Amino acid sequence: MAQRAVWLISHEPGTPLCGTVRFSRRYPTVEKRARVFNGTSYVPIPEDGPFLKALLFELRLLDDDKDFVESRDSCSHINKTSVYGLLVGGGELWPVVAFLKNNMIYACVPLVEQTLSPRPPLISISGISQSFELLFGIQDFLHLGQKNDTELNTKLNQLPDLLLQACPFGTLLDANLQNSLDSINFASVTHPQKQPAWKVGTYKGKPQVSISITEKVKSMQYDKQDIADTWQVVGAVTCKCDLEGIMPNVTISLSLPTNGSPLQDILVHPCVTSLDSAILTSSSIDAMDDSAFSGPYKFPFTPPLESFNLCYYTSQVPVPPILGFYQMKEEEIQVKITVNLKLHESVKNNFEFCEARIPFYNRGPITHVEYKVSFGQLEVFREKSLLIWIIGQKFPKSMEISLSGTVTFGAKSHEKQPFDEICIGGTAYLKLHFKILDYTLTGCYADQHSVQVFASGKPKINTHRKLISSDYYIWNSKAPAPITYGSLLLVRCHN
Amino acid sequence: MGPLSRETWAQRLGAFRASPSAFMAGPEGEDLGRDLLNELRSEKLSEQTKVSLLALSLEYPAQLWPDAAAAEAAATSLLDTLVLLPPRPSALRRPLLLAATTALAAGDALGPTSGASRRLLPLLLGLASGRDLGRGFGPASEQRPLQATACECLRELESCKPGLLGGCLGLLRSLLGQEGPVQPLSLLLALALRNTLVIQARARAGLQGLLVAGDMPAAGGPWNWTLAEEADAHLQPQAPSWPAAEEEECGLAVLEPSPEEARELRAAVAQLLDTSYLLTPVAQAQLLWLLGWALRGLRGQPPVLFKPQLVRLLGTAQLTLLHAVLALKAAFGEALFTAQDEALLLRRLTLAAQHPALPLPAHLFYLHCLLNFPENCPLGPTGEETAPLLLGPRLCRGLLPSLLHDPSALLAHLHLLCLLCAEDEEKEEKGQDWCPRHYLGELLAGLRQRAALHGGPRALATLCFQASYLVVHCLATQPTVLTPLTHGLARLYRARPALAPHFVDLLDRVGPELGEPLRTALRQEVVSRPGRDEALRWHLQILSKVADGKAPSATLGFLRAAAAHCTDWGLQQALLQVCRALLRAGVGEGLADLLQALARQLEDPDGRDRARLYYILLAHLAGPKLGVALGPSLAAPALTSSLVAENQGFAAVLMVQEAPAPMRLSVGPRRAAGPVPVLQLQVEVLEPLYSVELRFRVEGQLYAPLGAVHVPCLLPGRPCRPLHLPLQPRRPAPAQLAVRALFATPAGLTCHAHLPPLPVNFADLFLPFPRAPDGDKQGFFEELWDSCLPEGAESRLWCPLGPQGLEALVARHLDPFVVVAQPPTSYHVAIRLPPASRLLLRLEAAQGDGVPVALRTDDWAVLPLAGDYLRGLSAAV
Repeated sequence: MAQRAVWLISHEPGTPLCGTVRFSRRYPTVEKRARVFNGTSYVPIPEDGPFLKALLFELRLLDDDKDFVESRDSCSHINKTSVYGLLVGGGELWPVVAFLKNNMIYACVPLVEQTLSPRPPLISISGISQSFELLFGIQDFLHLGQKNDTELNTKLNQLPDLLLQACPFGTLLDANLQNSLDSINFASVTHPQKQPAWKVGTYKGKPQVSISITEKVKSMQYDKQDIADTWQVVGAVTCKCDLEGIMPNVTISLSLPTNGSPLQDILVHPCVTSLDSAILTSSSIDAMDDSAFSGPYKFPFTPPLESFNLCYYTSQVPVPPILGFYQMKEEEIQVKITVNLKLHESVKNNFEFCEARIPFYNRGPITHVEYKVSFGQLEVFREKSLLIWIIGQKFPKSMEISLSGTVTFGAKSHEKQPFDEICIGGTAYLKLHFKILDYTLTGCYADQHSVQVFASGKPKINTHRKLISSDYYIWNSKAPAPITYGSLLLVRCHN
Repeated sequence: MGPLSRETWAQRLGAFRASPSAFMAGPEGEDLGRDLLNELRSEKLSEQTKVSLLALSLEYPAQLWPDAAAAEAAATSLLDTLVLLPPRPSALRRPLLLAATTALAAGDALGPTSGASRRLLPLLLGLASGRDLGRGFGPASEQRPLQATACECLRELESCKPGLLGGCLGLLRSLLGQEGPVQPLSLLLALALRNTLVIQARARAGLQGLLVAGDMPAAGGPWNWTLAEEADAHLQPQAPSWPAAEEEECGLAVLEPSPEEARELRAAVAQLLDTSYLLTPVAQAQLLWLLGWALRGLRGQPPVLFKPQLVRLLGTAQLTLLHAVLALKAAFGEALFTAQDEALLLRRLTLAAQHPALPLPAHLFYLHCLLNFPENCPLGPTGEETAPLLLGPRLCRGLLPSLLHDPSALLAHLHLLCLLCAEDEEKEEKGQDWCPRHYLGELLAGLRQRAALHGGPRALATLCFQASYLVVHCLATQPTVLTPLTHGLARLYRARPALAPHFVDLLDRVGPELGEPLRTALRQEVVSRPGRDEALRWHLQILSKVADGKAPSATLGFLRAAAAHCTDWGLQQALLQVCRALLRAGVGEGLADLLQALARQLEDPDGRDRARLYYILLAHLAGPKLGVALGPSLAAPALTSSLVAENQGFAAVLMVQEAPAPMRLSVGPRRAAGPVPVLQLQVEVLEPLYSVELRFRVEGQLYAPLGAVHVPCLLPGRPCRPLHLPLQPRRPAPAQLAVRALFATPAGLTCHAHLPPLPVNFADLFLPFPRAPDGDKQGFFEELWDSCLPEGAESRLWCPLGPQGLEALVARHLDPFVVVAQPPTSYHVAIRLPPASRLLLRLEAAQGDGVPVALRTDDWAVLPLAGDYLRGLSAAV
């Protein structure tokens, strides 16, 4: 259960190599074991240059996909996971765990403690999940609060030292790299016994606990008879516990109002010490009924020092917060659009912001717009072929607003206007972006009085709530739209 | 070389990292390892620079110190540097320990004869047990981190040399019980325990109290290498805890510890598990894998010890933890997971595979785990991805593919959908509300629509073809899926012929279920649109793949129309490639005209030559032969001449090859009728032969030249009618026939073989006289008898008779030639010997053991032959 090597590669389309190795680390003692375990199927870790080239080719990130290349484009070359085989130096290096996130490619090669031919299933390779954790850990570290390239470079420069702590010999000891950074800084503190490995040092100061619930709501709305609209709430509860003592115990209860929507699919942080079976089994896979567990949801845990995600959940609320339709008709070089949005009466009508983005893909730049809005303002981004309808902080009393207009396009030039593989012909969407503070769609809240802390001193308890939109799509109802299986199924159930 | 500055080192390290092999091949390469060790003791360099030098040695020891001796020297030097550090806090102690460990382990220097090993191991164990090693090892504040580091170093050494710490198990247990750092000690103990159990199980030995022996090896005393040596001093592929690996393969022979040992073992494992919550999630996962491995082969160690951990672990979103739970599931199955536990685990996995809070790579990994789920009672074949039995359509609802997915996500979910469709068919449509097959069809249509986008990225097309391939792979037996898929693909080709290479690739890889109908559909698609077209080269590429013997006139019509537009070499070659495919398919009619026309009208001489060659081949070779001559292995036409490439292919095929005799030829029973003697030949073959021609040559010109015998086909095991070989003797004499065979093999090669010579005996030339006039046979015979003299010769001889007597002898050998018979005592025999001789015999007054024979012939040369013949008769039987 170890890693042979790890890389960070920035993806730079348009440059000759299309990327640069920003960081790499090899583990020669693990490599030595790989040679023994893999036997004749052993392929050594290549140098950075050949690795970069082979990985970008396999991930289709080189700018040369003009021609059909069998080793990449063949129909039988099927990849169903983020694990790849790379052709390097006459052999195939496998398994290479790799993914692209924010223009950075995270990659590593876990040790496989057996022969690679025939390839064992990934599930039987203990190093695979460790690879993912290492890469996720690096990703979290690089992007936590990172604002610009300078900060990124600073963090990249810290990586060698951090990995020397967190993964000195290729076996990952802690995926939380921030923890390792702290442990370097905490090095002079005398550790008491039975200190958890995930908690370096102890907190000294005023006790306080902050709990913040963030719900994201996503939706796909079609305004069609044969396709059901779908929506889902995804919640994350983030905690920061500043408490004295080595292992303070905390219990947080999440509650719902009487008409609240039950929480489902609950995943908890590993620091949670026990879990009610009702929480463990409450799942969106089952049909909902009145007997669904509706809390309170108790989470006893021993907090780490840093801020962490206590739990994630999903929920199926009865109605989407904003219901709308979008009609778009093409007429030669122009399109006619009509949009109608209605805020549900149960939703708090007090937004931090609310806007609808209406992009036009695979067309030329906008040359002319004629429009009428019942509320808010429309901004036109001609070169990006984008309209933004700024709705603002509140819906009007009627809770319903509309936009209609005609948009004219110029000639298409491939370099500038956005290409989209979904929005072909009349297939189009508008996407809602909004945020409501001190509100959750499920009604879920953490009562200050329900927080139990077994530690010295009575802590101050802060709670926050917010609802934000995420992937909130309203599709053009006058053309085909991409659907999910759920949309088809729900209609059948309803009819 | 003098001491280098920080900048010089930074530059040097940068150059090395850019390409280690290039740097080591350069002028500075040789000294790098030595310089690095020296510089670590330099007082001019900052600690930070020294740390970066050590970091390099952690990554590239094999380049810096390429053999065991160099590695040993390097480790010694690193240890020297370590003990020479002043007793103040230093950032170098930790990396020095790591570097010395790496040098020894990676450089194959670790062992009882290595001085550095003998120094490093006690040092690490001392540090790990928190002993005071004196001021040289830094201030007290560094002790704790160094203790953890020493544990890590020991763990790495144990990983590379299993059994190294077998003697320290008791010590490690007691340290874990005291105030030692929990995580490093837990992981170290778990690994050492696992390795010890594996080694002891292989050696069929018990634990021998290893778990309780608590003392440290005395400082400076010898290290116990026994177990490490028992492990063959080699790493062995470890026992995967996965059930797919056979028990024997995994090497974990079943170990039966004594009750006392079992109790100690349980205590040790419980001790590790009880404090496991103090470990980071990734370390917890490692612990579970190691303990799962360790206990799997042990009898009498119920895995219930793990049970209390499971509920806690099932609730988390942590990938390593859930993976470790799956490993336990695979290792222990029903012993640890009841049917309900299994169902819960499956639900949590299903949930994790689609939870919006988790990243895509995690979703895909969980999906993989679902399709490889270690079920308690698996039904399907092992080693193939299948949906677990409990994963019904309802659970899968959220796991089905959508066009909004990333390519790999789409393919992963599509695979699941295909598996459900396959199951669905088995259930014979129970009127279920949901119809996955319909959804599958719509999804594929959506993918094709995207692939058809002109100017769209190739990735979209690739995805569409990968999805089609996956569907065919899983659902090859379902016409309700394949028929719309075929039509859809044909429409896709119409919309975007530039995808031809993808179609060719797909046809190469799918079976006939899709391949056959798709070929037909694509051919029709292409030939129905003759004329000038931007896409001509794609059409020709497709045709060369799909053209077969069916509907050749439409294809030829298309080619004739296309020929006028094939103005450049590439197009002409593509066109001829289609002709080639037609030639192979045995299309003759119409193709000859086209080839002739091409041989005249193509602009490029290379194209004309190739067309002419095809025409000649078509005119001169029979269909099957042509098919073989134009074998499928034509390399891409060389840039200079397509003819050269083509020639390489069939030059061998068109030549006659010498081969060992594939048949046996023998002379069958005589026929003795007709105007000339005819040999009846019997043939046996060892392999199928076609177009066989047998050629005979008579030695010594005794007979007129013999005609060849032709047989269209000879098959082993199937009797063949006798072959007739008429002989035209110039003299009535026996002879040897030299025989050669020419034939075609099933592979289409023409071969030539020499067969063993065939003897023609004297009796093979016998013919009867035309029938004597009725009534006066005696007179006819006497007339012949008299006519032999005076030119001829007369003789008398004794013909021995076997036990069968005269009557049987005559019946067997001379019956067709008997003119007058008075059985059983008297026979008059008249034999015609082509070209113009006669032999007359009187066999009369036989006695017990022989018969006197009077014989006359008109050809004195026959006399000795006849004598030999008659004397040999009784022996011939």
